[in-house]
Amino acid sequence: MTLSTMLSTMAGGMLKTCGIFVLTLVGSLPLGMIVALLRRSRFTVIRGIVRVYISVIRGTPLMLQLLVWYFGPFYLFHWSIRGWRFPALILGFILNYAAYFAEIYRGGIESIPAGQYEAAQVLGYSKTQTFMRIILPQVIKRIMPSVTNEVITLVKDTSLAFTLAYQEVFSLAKQISASQTSFMPFVIAGVFYFVANYAVEFAMERIEKALNYYR
Amino acid sequence: MKRTLACILALSMTAAVFAGCTAIPAAAPAAQPAEAVEETAAASEEAAPAGDEGTFVFKHGFDLDYPPYSYIDDNGQTGGFDVEMAQAVCEYYGWTYEAVPFNWDAKDAELNAGSCDCIWSGFTVNGREDDYLWSMPYSDNTQMIMVKKDSGIASLADLEGKAVGVQTSTSAYDLLNDEEGQAELAKTFGSLEVYETYTIAFNDLKAGAIDAIAIDVTSGNYLMSGETDFAYLDEELGSEQYAIGFRKDDQELCDKVNAALEALVADGTYDAIGQKYPDIYNYLTLGK
Amino acid sequence: MIVEMNNIRKRFDKLEVIKNISFGVDSGEVVSIIGPSGSGKSTLLRCATFLETIDGGEILYMGEKAAYTDESGKAVYVHQHELHHFRSYCGLVFQQFNLFPHYSVLKNLTDAQIKVQHRTRDEAEETAMELLGKMGIADKAQAYPYQLSGGQQQRVAIARALAMKPKILFFDEPTSALDPELTGEVLKVIRQLAEEKMTMVVVTHEMPFAKAVSNRVLFMDGGVIVEQGDPKEVFDDPKEERTRQFLRVFER
Repeated sequence: MTLSTMLSTMAGGMLKTCGIFVLTLVGSLPLGMIVALLRRSRFTVIRGIVRVYISVIRGTPLMLQLLVWYFGPFYLFHWSIRGWRFPALILGFILNYAAYFAEIYRGGIESIPAGQYEAAQVLGYSKTQTFMRIILPQVIKRIMPSVTNEVITLVKDTSLAFTLAYQEVFSLAKQISASQTSFMPFVIAGVFYFVANYAVEFAMERIEKALNYYR
Repeated sequence: MKRTLACILALSMTAAVFAGCTAIPAAAPAAQPAEAVEETAAASEEAAPAGDEGTFVFKHGFDLDYPPYSYIDDNGQTGGFDVEMAQAVCEYYGWTYEAVPFNWDAKDAELNAGSCDCIWSGFTVNGREDDYLWSMPYSDNTQMIMVKKDSGIASLADLEGKAVGVQTSTSAYDLLNDEEGQAELAKTFGSLEVYETYTIAFNDLKAGAIDAIAIDVTSGNYLMSGETDFAYLDEELGSEQYAIGFRKDDQELCDKVNAALEALVADGTYDAIGQKYPDIYNYLTLGK
Repeated sequence: MIVEMNNIRKRFDKLEVIKNISFGVDSGEVVSIIGPSGSGKSTLLRCATFLETIDGGEILYMGEKAAYTDESGKAVYVHQHELHHFRSYCGLVFQQFNLFPHYSVLKNLTDAQIKVQHRTRDEAEETAMELLGKMGIADKAQAYPYQLSGGQQQRVAIARALAMKPKILFFDEPTSALDPELTGEVLKVIRQLAEEKMTMVVVTHEMPFAKAVSNRVLFMDGGVIVEQGDPKEVFDDPKEERTRQFLRVFER
C-alpha cells in the first residue's frame, strides 16, 4: 500500500472521528446544562434521578456504556438493532459527556457568589433573566479551563468508537497496521490527534482570551 | 483485555437481567437456555433464506484486523480470503453481500443480536465446538513459536525464562491459557506479554524487547513476508481448524453455505481465490 | 408612609433574629439603623427588600400589603408577579457592592432598566449617564468594575439602584468593605441624596455620619429596637443603658 493510499484510506476515518467529536459536543454541551439545572431542581425525585445518572455514567467505563447502548435494545426488548450502530455510538458519547459537563457547570454555578443572585433579584430580574444574563456568562468564563480539558479528552476518547466497530481513525490505523505490518498508520493517527487537539487548544484559548475583558 | 471485555459484557447482560429479561450470556453462547435460543431466532428472522433469495442480505461478520483472512487490502478496500469467499457464496445464491466489520471482542454480542449472520474471519473451531453451529472447516492453522534466527532458541524448552508475546483474543493466546493446552509451557516463560495486535508484538521482537512470539502460522507468515531474520521453532504449539460460526438455531443458513462451499470447491473458485493468498494457500483444506 | 413593617418576626432555625419589630419610613425621611453586629439590622433590611421571607408580621409599601400574617399565624406573601411590582419600589445597596463583573459600568446601570422596566436604550443610557455624572464617575461609564476602586464601585452600585427609580433606597453597611480613605466619597454621595429628599434607610457604623444626615436613628440590639428618635437625642442623651454602652465604644 502506498503512503497516499494509506492517507486517503485513513482520511475517511479522520472524517468519522471529526463527526463523532462535533456531534458529541453539539449534543452534550447543552444537555449538560439541562442536567446541571435538574441537579439543582427543587424536586427531590428529579435531583435523585439526575444524581444516579451522573454517578452511573462517571462510575462506569465509556466502552461499557457504548456496548450497553448498542446491544441493550436487543437484549432488553429484542428489537432489531440494524442501523442502530452509529446512533447508539453518538447517544453513548453524548450522554457520557453531558454528565461530565453537567458537573463542571454545577461547580461553576455554585462558585458564583450569592450576592450576584441577590443583586439581580433586588433589581427585579426574573429567575430566567438572572440565570441567562447574570449567572451563565460568569459561569462560562469560570469553567472554560475545565471544559477545554474535557474537550481534549473527547478528541482522544473518540477512538473508543472501535468498541462498536465504527471505522474511525484509530480503528483504521490498527487494521491497516495489521495488514501492512507497519507502524506508519499509528504515526499518521498520532499526528492527526495532535493536530486536532492543537486546533482545539487554539480555539479554546481564543475563547478564553475573548472572555478576559473582565475579571 | 479479553477478560475485561468479558466482564464488561457480563455486566451489560446483568443489566438485562435486572430489567426482567432473559439475558443471553454473550461470552458463553453454549450455555443458552432453550428459551433464549428461540428468542435469538426472532432477531434473525431475515437470516433464514426462504424462496426469494435475491432479496436476502447476507451479513458477513468479521474482524478487519485479521490479515490475510479479512483486512484492509493494499488499495484501502476491505478484502481477504474470507471476504472474497463470502462474496463468492453470495454471488452463487444471488444474495446481497453486506460487510459487518466488528470489534472481535464483541463478536458474540454482534452475532446474537443479529447484526451479523455469521462469524467468518479465520475463526478457530477448536475449543469452541459446542458454542456455535459450524460450517465445514476450510483451513488448517497451526500455532507456532516465532523467534529471531540468531536468538539461540531452538526448542520449546529453550523458552524457559524468556519473554513471549501473543495477541489477545487469538487462538495462540487461548492455547497458552488453556490448562489442557499449553498453559504448563506458558508457566515456564519468564513473562507472557499480551498485545493488542501482532504488529506491535512483532516490532517488539525485532527490537529485542521480547524473545519470541506465539502465533498462528498464517498470521506469522504474513508478518514474516519480506523479512529474513525470523523463523519458527520446529515443534508446534498446537493446531486447529478454521470454519464459519453460525447461531446455533441457524441450521438452514449453515446448510446453504456448506452447499455453496462444496460447489465453489468443485468449480475451482475456492482454489482460484486461495492462490491469491500464498501465505495461507498451503493450509487450505477443501478439495485436497 | 413609603414602607411600613409591623410586628416583624424572623428566625433562622432556632435562632430568632428579629423579635416583633415595627417601624415605618415616611417619604423624604432618612433613617439610620445602628447597633452591634448580629443585632438583626441587616436581616431587617433583607426582609424589607424581600431577600428574606418573614415568619410573621406584615410589610406594606405605599399602603399596599406585600406580606401579612393569616389566621393560622403564618406569614403570607402576595403572588409572585405582584411581588415583582413591590420590588420595584425599593432598592438595596450592598456592603459588597455586588456589581455585575461582566458588564461595563454603563451596562450595570442600563441592563435592568431595559430588561426589567422595558425602557428604551436611549432613555436608559440617559438616566445612567446623568446618575454617573452625579456620582462623579461619568468618565468610568465604559470601564469594568474590576478597574474601579472600592469607593467608585460602591458609587456605581448606588447609581445602579437609583436608575430603577425606587421610592426608597436601603443601604446595608455601604462603607464597611471600604478602606477608610474611601468611605468619605461614598458618604458624600449619600449625604447629597439626603439633601435631595431621597427616602433612605442606612444601616451603618459611621456614627458622625448617622448623626449629621439622618432624621431618625434606630438603635437595634438582640433583634429588637431598643431605642429610636431624633439623632441628637439618641447620640447625646440616650435613654437606655444598652445604647449608652454601645455608643461608648465608638467615642473612644
